[in-house]
Amino acid sequence: MTARLRELSLTLLLLFVLLAIEFGMAFLPLARSLRPLILIPAALMVCVVGSVFMEARQGPVIVRLFIVAGLLWLAILLGLGSLDPLTRRDYYLDWTMIPGPAKPSATPPVPAEVR
Amino acid sequence: MSAMAVDTPQERPSYLADGVTLRSWLLTTDHKRIALLYLGSVTIFFFVGGAAAALIRYNLIVPEGMIASADTYNRLFTMHGIVMVWFFLVPVVPVTLGNFVIPLMIGARDLAFPKLNLLSWYLFVAAGVVLIYALFAGGLDTGWTFYTPLSSNFSRGHLVAAVAAVFISGFSSIATGLNFMVTIHRLRAPGMTWYRMPVFLWSLYATSVLYVLATPVLAMTLLLLGFERIFRLGVFDPTLGGDPLLFQHLFWFYSHPAVYIMILPGLGVISEIVPTFSSKRIFGYKFVVWSSIAIAVISFLVWGHHMFVAGTSLYSALVFSILSYMVAVPSAIKVFNWIGTMHKGYIRFDAPMLYALGFIGLFTIGGLTGLFVAALAADVHLAQTYFVVAHFHYVMVGGMVSAFFAGIHYWWPKITGRMYPEMWGRAGALIIFIGFNLTFFPQFILGYLGMPRRYHSYPPEFQVFNVLSSAGATILAVGYLLPLAYLTWSLFYGKRAPDNPWGATGLEWKTSSPPITENFITTPEVTEPPYNYPQPDAARSG
Amino acid sequence: MSDTTIKYEFQYSSAEHQADTAISGMWLFLATEVLFFGALFLSWIYSRHWNQAGFDAGAQQTWLAIGTINTVILLTSSFVYSVGLAFIRAGDSRRLMQCCVLAWLLGAAFLILKFGVEWPDDIEKGLLPGPGFSIEGPLRGGAQLFFVFYFFGTALHGLHMLGGLGVVGWIIRRTRRGDFSPDYHTPVTVVGLYWSFVDIVWIVLYPLIYLIGRGP
Repeated sequence: MTARLRELSLTLLLLFVLLAIEFGMAFLPLARSLRPLILIPAALMVCVVGSVFMEARQGPVIVRLFIVAGLLWLAILLGLGSLDPLTRRDYYLDWTMIPGPAKPSATPPVPAEVR
Repeated sequence: MSAMAVDTPQERPSYLADGVTLRSWLLTTDHKRIALLYLGSVTIFFFVGGAAAALIRYNLIVPEGMIASADTYNRLFTMHGIVMVWFFLVPVVPVTLGNFVIPLMIGARDLAFPKLNLLSWYLFVAAGVVLIYALFAGGLDTGWTFYTPLSSNFSRGHLVAAVAAVFISGFSSIATGLNFMVTIHRLRAPGMTWYRMPVFLWSLYATSVLYVLATPVLAMTLLLLGFERIFRLGVFDPTLGGDPLLFQHLFWFYSHPAVYIMILPGLGVISEIVPTFSSKRIFGYKFVVWSSIAIAVISFLVWGHHMFVAGTSLYSALVFSILSYMVAVPSAIKVFNWIGTMHKGYIRFDAPMLYALGFIGLFTIGGLTGLFVAALAADVHLAQTYFVVAHFHYVMVGGMVSAFFAGIHYWWPKITGRMYPEMWGRAGALIIFIGFNLTFFPQFILGYLGMPRRYHSYPPEFQVFNVLSSAGATILAVGYLLPLAYLTWSLFYGKRAPDNPWGATGLEWKTSSPPITENFITTPEVTEPPYNYPQPDAARSG
Repeated sequence: MSDTTIKYEFQYSSAEHQADTAISGMWLFLATEVLFFGALFLSWIYSRHWNQAGFDAGAQQTWLAIGTINTVILLTSSFVYSVGLAFIRAGDSRRLMQCCVLAWLLGAAFLILKFGVEWPDDIEKGLLPGPGFSIEGPLRGGAQLFFVFYFFGTALHGLHMLGGLGVVGWIIRRTRRGDFSPDYHTPVTVVGLYWSFVDIVWIVLYPLIYLIGRGP
């Protein structure tokens, strides 16, 4: 009983430490595209809560199967789903090649950050 | 024969007789009664969707469209899609046949969470009520796919109501899938290892994985769409910085697995029927069961093939195209295994087997034409044409609906305790097969020739094939109404069914037809592999 | 373990069988929630990808202090509930009750801070997406999308918290009735799983909202 209480208290402390690290990382001069690395301490916090508070490692085997499935499918959704925006290219037309009324410029304008 | 103790003394009432009040039906937690409640509901929806289909085919008899308004036509195909997808195909086999048969097949007394099961039916009915409201209020013109920005910014239909209906039905699906998965993991009878389970259970397990993991994404998608529509949030609106393709990615992340939700249970039903009516063990059991799992997993990796011409990156399209070819392999494995099962078997052509044979042919055509459209270059021409329409109707209607009918006829004696009239059953199967091919084969040709889908009118040179298709639809309608008639007839006048009319293996055939409420008097114990038919060449009694 | 006095449903073979099944069922439900929120995270990825400057500009308008305090509150609440579960395993029903009440109060504090203090402040600053949105100029689109994600995400999380308060309250009621013992406390475990999960969702939302866009 006291062993469990000690385990839980140390875990809470660990969570606060990770939170502090995460908080600190937010103020580092990271490039915009690298800022999602701040999620790493968050991911560790999730693992800690899951394994200690939720006792994911004890219990029936299928619990671990369900956890793996949920996380794997999340990875598929986010990973394969991001593949499209990360690899999209603009293919510019040469408007002068298209018959019709005169166009304002040779290529269509690149949209600025949207209003 | 195996050592099982499952006697059902005559004094115990069947589940049908166990309580005759309306309350005992509407508040039941008995999986068998819930299956019947669902059967009634999905049948109603099938005919609602079918009525919409009839009007669609009626409209397409003449090039200018028999129904004057294109907007009405749009609302018809939208309603047809929404009803048939979410209120018929997605639930049908799991909630009717699955609910009924799973505990019997695994030797359990009920599902893991019987009250959750009843809740899932009420959620389904609630969703249906909202949908009927949306229908009578005028419907929706976006197609069942709700693409933005038409649906979020411009449509004048009842988007929020329709989307709310689908959202609620999603919770019903998740509840059912969760219940099935936990049941199959935890409530198997002693001795029933995973490899002693009939294939139908593996298929339903795979389907449940899809229910559970894909449907929540649809829930979020519809929530975002609804709020986008009401509050013009901008998540899908390019003028506000959003991405309309995000909607399509999120939508198809669910909807592609959804089509496998629709077909996997059918594949499982066929895997039960073919061994029974060939009196032979299924060929390559492990390949068949693992192919269901493979289909479930790979189905999550291919959704982008619905978006090849939508503006996604070419590289992502390439990845999705390759993955789509991979998903066809496990389905093909199943087809070969069914053929292998029939080879040297003693084949009987009862109605379930006729439906199953029809399924094998039609599903193969549907599946192969899927590969046509999965090829990037071909899809540039075939996307959004009738070729795609024909492809998915071959798998969904020629395949899945036939499988459902096969299963209903197969388990009808178990569910109702009555035999249906066999000759009418066979006639129905034949009429459906002929009507179906006449309806949908011309559509492959129309698509190849370039007729776009979802168009209320068309160029006159396409009329011949459209008329053929509509004629076929009339025959198909007769084929679908026939079972409604003779199955209902059999409830009152059909011959009483024995416990095992087909001579099949499986625990569900070891209990009475119809079963008692608790399914089994004593917990069965399983000591033998599934489909334990005698070898075809051995001369010995069963 | 003697379970002859513990009732279990007829489709199960023992009380332990039922307990393990209930826990498995809850974990599976949580897997569905992962995919539910996952779809929202994909929309975060898309919105930020196409509007990086504006999105981050919006993030800088969030109230970091209150968000961080709320994170500490939720972590503590999850801790307290787990302590309560440890107590009932050792047979102390009274301590379970106290822990559940404390966990409930911390959860309520979270909701009050978020919806009673932070949201009104955000709305007053004109951060609610719509015609009155206060960030103008080329960054408007991205900033507005950030706040769409912010209000949507925190609302959905808040709804789940509300549900959590409901079920923790149910546990409190049942504890007071004396329903739980070292041999039977499955509902406590199952509700604890849900409560910790809602905490996990916040652990992910917190950096997505308050930290990633906030650079020097």
